[in-house]
Amino acid sequence: MSDDRPLPYPDRDSEPYWNALSKGEFKLQRCDDCDAFRWPPRAICNRCHSFRASWSSLSGRGRILSWTCTHQAFAPAYRDAVPYIVVQVQLAEQDDILMIGGWRADREPMANEAVRVHLAKRNDDFTLPDWEPESELYSRS
Amino acid sequence: MSLRNQAAIVGIGATEFSKNSGVSTLTLAQRAIMAALEDAGLEPARVDGLATFRVGDSVLPMILAQSLGIKDLHYWLDQFAGGSGSHSIVGQAALAIHAGVADYIVCYRSLNARSEFRMGGTGRPLVDAVETQYQAPFGYFTPPQQFAMAAKAHMERYGTTPEQLGAIAVQQRAHAAHNERAMMREPITLDDYLASRWIVEPFRLLDCCLETDGAVAVVVTSPERARDLKQRPVLIRGASWGSGQTLFSNEQPDPTRTSAADMAPRLFEMAGVTPRDIDVAQLYDCFTYSVLVQLEDYGFCAKGEAGAFIESGATALGGTIPVNTHGGFLSEGYVHGLNHVYEAVSQLRGNAGERQVQGAEIALSTSQPGYVSGSTSALLLQRDA
Repeated sequence: MSDDRPLPYPDRDSEPYWNALSKGEFKLQRCDDCDAFRWPPRAICNRCHSFRASWSSLSGRGRILSWTCTHQAFAPAYRDAVPYIVVQVQLAEQDDILMIGGWRADREPMANEAVRVHLAKRNDDFTLPDWEPESELYSRS
Repeated sequence: MSLRNQAAIVGIGATEFSKNSGVSTLTLAQRAIMAALEDAGLEPARVDGLATFRVGDSVLPMILAQSLGIKDLHYWLDQFAGGSGSHSIVGQAALAIHAGVADYIVCYRSLNARSEFRMGGTGRPLVDAVETQYQAPFGYFTPPQQFAMAAKAHMERYGTTPEQLGAIAVQQRAHAAHNERAMMREPITLDDYLASRWIVEPFRLLDCCLETDGAVAVVVTSPERARDLKQRPVLIRGASWGSGQTLFSNEQPDPTRTSAADMAPRLFEMAGVTPRDIDVAQLYDCFTYSVLVQLEDYGFCAKGEAGAFIESGATALGGTIPVNTHGGFLSEGYVHGLNHVYEAVSQLRGNAGERQVQGAEIALSTSQPGYVSGSTSALLLQRDA
């Protein structure tokens, strides 16, 4: 697969998130005062407005809210990748954390299906959180 | 004090809509603005306000002002926004008119969204938005993908069908047959829709609007000044903009509900109307699905029931609430929202020709409902008595 696909571009808020992933750790900030998780990474808690937070490990579990299958290559780097499925996952930890990720199975997802994170290394600097069905193991090809 | 009926739209102008204008966004804006001023019966020298929105793809209002010989702009707005801002610029012009900041404000949008900066995302640089870094690495970075994700969730939750999405495309194409400005006027059938190629499942080609080169301008002034001009004024009865649902963990985890659902009650309250009072609606149709979800979120039908509502014919010309009577962005062209305002004004003036909704007095015109950016805006317009 082409390596021209976009990479994450960490900013001053998101750098710890991407750094943790590159070490194989799936973490988000959790508020030190009200325990709410923050997504995407940022300084303030939108529930209690605390600036205090700690990076906390996630279970890596969630459920499928929706998905798409892209047929049109919107960038040259995806010419050989189409068609491909991208999923929207609601994390088990908190209902209002919705993440976009790649899909790691040879079939379509199902609505509300339980999934777990699959950390996919893109290069030495970046690892991306993809998702696979909870019910079966992804067979690496 | 309410903004209700404190400003009016007195002129509308548009360029030809095409796949390749062959000219700059500056030239397109000049053409649309001069047409709108001609329509209003105003000299360019009277213009003391300019308002636009753009995504780094169009001419600055200050440059445009100089090119028109305007030497002292009293008001300008250069809003960084996608389609969600399309109706807020008109609402903000109404605010400025009401406040006495300016007398004649031209709102415009000019873009070469096919021949230069492709609005659909194909071949375009990534958008500098906070969510991009969390989405683009998965090959997910364009509006059709983002709206397809919401549409799929709606289909799974409420049983909305491809045929119901297709009915929107078929109805709007039938409307476009009566519109000489429309880029696509050849009628289509549901079979044509179902046979069109996949772009991003569940969207086929005919779910997607037309990447378009073109410009639209509308002139806003006070109701008093409006009554001295050439056209029958169209009053801005309500104008709202809002923001809520976004990527951020903000306790709004439902992808089948848009920011329009939060904003609509405020808009209706300001205008003192209900959805039943609306005679014609121009609903932002970047994709078929955005029409469907807005029918629910603006309260024309219950949540989850828009598919059946559309299939009943309610949204077609002759139905209880004709939607996108010009063909919409799906068939007329995509001038990023402002061509909806143009059509709403035409309908309220009663000069929409074969597609005229008889006796239309109140129109709703809306912007992108707010799934992608979380922000939205809309206008309720009324024919002057």
